[in-house]
Amino acid sequence: MSDLIEMLTLPFLACMLMGGILSYLGIHVLKREVIFIDIAVAQVVAIGALAAHLLFDVEEGSLISYLFSLACVLAIAGFYSVARHKISEISVEAVIGISYAITAAGALFLMGIAPGHSHAQEMLAGALLWIMWPQVLTALIVFAGVSVVLWLCRKSLSAVSQDYAEAARRGINVVWWDFLFYALLGVVITVAVRISGVVTVFALLIIPATTSALFATGWLHRMLLAWLIVVIASTSGLLFSYYLDFSVGPAIALCLGVLLAVTAAIVRLRPKSGPSRHPASLTTEGLDSERS
Amino acid sequence: MTEAMRLFALQITLIAVVLVLHTYLGLHIIRRTLIFSDLVLDQLAAFGGLVGVGLGVAYASPGSYVFAFAAVLLGAFLLAVINPRNPAIPREAVIGILFAMALVLSLLWTDKIPGGEAYIETTMSGYLLWVTWPLIRITLVTYVALILFHYVLRHRFIALAERPGEQKHERLWDFLFFTTQGIITVLIVPIAGVLLAYSFLMIPAAIATLFTKRWGLATFIGWSVGFVACLLGLGSSYAWNLPYGPTLVLYMGLFFVGAMVLRAVLRSRKKESVVKGELCPTS
Repeated sequence: MSDLIEMLTLPFLACMLMGGILSYLGIHVLKREVIFIDIAVAQVVAIGALAAHLLFDVEEGSLISYLFSLACVLAIAGFYSVARHKISEISVEAVIGISYAITAAGALFLMGIAPGHSHAQEMLAGALLWIMWPQVLTALIVFAGVSVVLWLCRKSLSAVSQDYAEAARRGINVVWWDFLFYALLGVVITVAVRISGVVTVFALLIIPATTSALFATGWLHRMLLAWLIVVIASTSGLLFSYYLDFSVGPAIALCLGVLLAVTAAIVRLRPKSGPSRHPASLTTEGLDSERS
Repeated sequence: MTEAMRLFALQITLIAVVLVLHTYLGLHIIRRTLIFSDLVLDQLAAFGGLVGVGLGVAYASPGSYVFAFAAVLLGAFLLAVINPRNPAIPREAVIGILFAMALVLSLLWTDKIPGGEAYIETTMSGYLLWVTWPLIRITLVTYVALILFHYVLRHRFIALAERPGEQKHERLWDFLFFTTQGIITVLIVPIAGVLLAYSFLMIPAAIATLFTKRWGLATFIGWSVGFVACLLGLGSSYAWNLPYGPTLVLYMGLFFVGAMVLRAVLRSRKKESVVKGELCPTS
């Protein structure tokens, strides 16, 4: 038992930190319909680290590597915010999708030039189990800083996330707030992906926010629900991976997915009394026809 | 003809045919914002292949295709059937979660098979350089059949994008749409890898959508630009011995960024001329 606590305490703390901020950002991400932003930004972060490795022969996790990744994140944040403003023919999610393909190809291309620097599995699955105190403290400081900015700018950021066109009509500088949002999200993702890999970060960003939408609409309620989900899924994911010897990150992501599927099914199948208070249920053709 | 020339001709033919269907399907995906549906199917095809590997079936062997196709059919079913009614949950979120689950299952599965990490990388990058004639023939015949199928039933599929909610049995047509995507995924992922397959689908279609809403014209523009970009990528890859798939994707990406800049410039010029017209209505 003490082995278990010793081994899983830091990963659990890291999950709480990441889940805390990512599930809030996830609500913004769902409202903006930029679902795959994490995967695209994570690729950009990887490009920065690879470029730093090629140019200065520095390892991932060094200051120069972080700075390169950060520069790439700011560049892509600028690209998304300007693209959203200038291009109306295709959705920003399409731009994100294509930027993902290009940056992932760029990463593979750089890996082709610099063989021996290929860690696809590690980048995807992460190494959450081997996290150390300095990484947890770095995450704490960075996430606290980002949270303060998010709190101070919450009104403008929420307005842009809620309705971009309306915000622009009201005279809000949408390009700037978009840039700030993507930059902050990028900083969080840079730190989080180093800790736990792309898949877990993606799951923590999207799934708690989606599950919370099944039960609540207000920001506060959704955040509280999302945090509860993070606690349950992280605990069960860590135990699952500990006892069955699986990678920690993907195990947590799997638990988040299972939790969503179960709650969505419960919400959907629950007998309704009077008008639905939860329009959030996921619908399926089969279930619809059953009802009719 | 030398072996290298034969291989080059084979790859060009494959790309030319593949791009027609991918561009057309990509137009649907972009209009309906199902951007990452293809990655779900790609990842499921890869997962199916990996399950096969775990059970002793070699990756990209005929047996492996059966596993991949079964996984993809399940994906097409889930994509068609799960449609959130709540405006707070966009359909793309469901797609994202399905993708995450497919990727997670692949990673957890490779935890338990020897050399799993290498397979994850193979599924990402593909091995287009090793394609063989029988595989190409099967791929080409299937693609031509699917192009005909989509041409004959184009009104049904276009209605999904242009008049959502109006057509009868919409989820059936959705299922057929995703199944088409699934079939081409099963064929193309072992050859081209997840990234190149996804780029074939998204980038030419996105470039075309920037300039026109007409389906036929957009397919033509997307195919032309995509084909030129792939030719350049293929040439560069041979000339400088660059990694194959990534080079093609990067060339297509270059054209996409160029198209976005062109679109933005055209838009600002149009705005300027409108303003000028308003200021001097007689001129």
